[in-house]
Amino acid sequence: MKKKLVAAIMATAMVATMLTGCSSSGEQSTSKADVPTEPFGDTIKYDPSVEINNGEDISVELWEWGSDELFQQVIDGYTAIHPNVSIKLVNNPWEDYWTKLPLALDGENGPALFNVHNSYHENMINYMAPLDIPLEDLEADFTGVAAHVIDDKVYYIDYGMMTGSVYYNKEMWKEAGLTDDDIPKTWDEMREVAKKLTIKDGDKLIQAGLNFNDSFHQNYLLGLNYQLGETLFEEDGKTPKLNSDAMKQTMQMLIDMYKVDGVGSENFGEKDSDSFGQGQSAMVIQWGHYYNTLKTTWSNIDFGVFEIPTFDGNPYAYNRYNGESTFGVNKNAPEDQQAVAQDFVKYFLANDEAQIAFNLAMSTFPAKKSLADNEEILANPSLSVLSEHIDRYIWPGPMPSTMETSLKTAGQEIFFNGVDIDKALDDAQANAIRDMQSSTFVSVENLYEHAE
Amino acid sequence: MFKKSHPLQSRSEIILRNIVVAVMVVFFTVFLIIPIGIAFAGSFHEWNPLSGTYKFLGLKNYIEVFSSGLFWKSMRNTVLFSVVVIVFRVGLGLAIACAIFSSLVKYKSFFRAVFYMPVVTPMVAVAFVWKFMYNPQIGTVNQILGLDVNWLMNPKTALIAVMIMTIWKDFGYAVVMYMAGLFSLPSDAMEAARVDGANGWQTFRYITLPLLRPMTLFVVITSIISYIQAYIQILIMTEGGPGTDTYLASYIIYDEAFVKYNFGYASALSFVLFVVTAAFTMLSFRVSGSEE
Repeated sequence: MKKKLVAAIMATAMVATMLTGCSSSGEQSTSKADVPTEPFGDTIKYDPSVEINNGEDISVELWEWGSDELFQQVIDGYTAIHPNVSIKLVNNPWEDYWTKLPLALDGENGPALFNVHNSYHENMINYMAPLDIPLEDLEADFTGVAAHVIDDKVYYIDYGMMTGSVYYNKEMWKEAGLTDDDIPKTWDEMREVAKKLTIKDGDKLIQAGLNFNDSFHQNYLLGLNYQLGETLFEEDGKTPKLNSDAMKQTMQMLIDMYKVDGVGSENFGEKDSDSFGQGQSAMVIQWGHYYNTLKTTWSNIDFGVFEIPTFDGNPYAYNRYNGESTFGVNKNAPEDQQAVAQDFVKYFLANDEAQIAFNLAMSTFPAKKSLADNEEILANPSLSVLSEHIDRYIWPGPMPSTMETSLKTAGQEIFFNGVDIDKALDDAQANAIRDMQSSTFVSVENLYEHAE
Repeated sequence: MFKKSHPLQSRSEIILRNIVVAVMVVFFTVFLIIPIGIAFAGSFHEWNPLSGTYKFLGLKNYIEVFSSGLFWKSMRNTVLFSVVVIVFRVGLGLAIACAIFSSLVKYKSFFRAVFYMPVVTPMVAVAFVWKFMYNPQIGTVNQILGLDVNWLMNPKTALIAVMIMTIWKDFGYAVVMYMAGLFSLPSDAMEAARVDGANGWQTFRYITLPLLRPMTLFVVITSIISYIQAYIQILIMTEGGPGTDTYLASYIIYDEAFVKYNFGYASALSFVLFVVTAAFTMLSFRVSGSEE
């Protein structure tokens, strides 16, 4: 009896092993079938048949600060084509990344590839090698390349463009008797809708129609100036214009929304993004990344997205955008590693699948022109609302952080300390000028396609 | 003939001493003296270590520091913050230590541990919890007091709110220090006071308090050094706001160095703060010394 039992267990184990083996080999054959053998891409073509490092084994590192799985997918796709290449993904949290990376790049053993954020442009650019791809090819395939040209060379470009849109709570919208026809196109309409969405118990605010706490400087002041035809920098590209008439008009509108319309309060919800997620505010303006934040952190919120309103329906530009950057190549890395890094960047740029995956993960509108009407991209409402006017968004360049922090301080002085608009914005202007006196930043607003 | 006496008995002890001293000298040289020297030199430069900028500016950074309205505002805030928190730390610490030390209280170790617990809790964690407690919508502070105040963004309450949190977190340190002082008081002095007919207050005023003066001086000086460097609670609870109303001197240094990467200006601020800290410390010694 005992022997029979052992035999039965062994037979079962053998069958299970065989099935597992079949399944495993099946998966392998599928993934092998996915490995491209023919050249792919638009103008920038990637030819998988070209050997890397003469087919000899080589290892490089890729440093990044998040979204490991996303990076790993691209690495896996690349190493499937080039099994002799090993790319080690190294994650450093954002806070550590920007102090560790320059130190690593300064030495001989720094990563050959690293993720770039344009807010650290000044600190990174001296460590980067120019991309080994013709400028005209980059410009043919991607928008916004001209803004990244330095002495006829390009060190990184944007794979996607992120900007602000209005996120609204559909349930609150319905309860207020609003329909899709009520989606506002102008700021006046927006203020009326916000009033309808506001709920009060006497003087006490229960539900804010619109909340901009902690984001007014990033999502309103540094962007709506373009709607009014005003740039953020003087013609020299270096002097900020934080006390411009457009800035004052925008600030006055924000004050009126809270103090006159009463659709929100500086004391109601510390952060607009949290307040919306917690179901306390009906509308917020947030940048693309918020779409995924809502999906993951506040998945119970039924929300919709619409394009940012304008003052008169015919703006100079709709808003400011910022690019999500491609990888940087370490100019201090050994030549063979740099060659792999250059090839990897080319693979990434030519690979539509990777471009779509990165843009969906970051909720950025693809900079790759051929993907502007891609079905997967347009299925994401935070991206589809941008598609009609995507050419009417401006990137001012990698602005120093003082542009944001100085305006944040000014806004707090106005809302909490009762300082008047002119004084607060004059102080912000003076502060930004002092902070930027040694900056090498030059605005690229003049490269805007519809610049007047 | 007697052999010349030597505190170290053997050659091995002398070698060990030299090694230990050498290690400490190297340690402090590498991790303290050299960085301070680099920072001092950097304070005369436009310095961004990440972009590799290092240009000589002479005294420009120091001139900018002293002509900055924000610097003077932050210094006023720092002095106010330090004085209030130190007064409450010492006052509460002494009062509670005396209460626990009293013969009427049992479980002295338990109470000492309870009051010391916030001290060993990380400031970051405490600041986050208190920030939540001060939340104008759902914070327990408003709920308990029945108020509707935005504690951390109201210019009248923001700095006070941060001070209250800091006092709560830190007074346990003074409790433990004073208890150590109370346990080491000479019993004959207390007995003599009792024999002479001194009541409780007189014993405290004329015997206990003067005998605890070295401990008070120690607590005050370590507190001055600690609070002039305070910035974590500001970073987490107010980020210097509303506006710049809760900027402390060390928070500007953090902001200039690690947000704006303006290391030269931040170094100049650090050396000014170093001089201020040294001046306050010497003043405390002088006041204490003159009283004695």
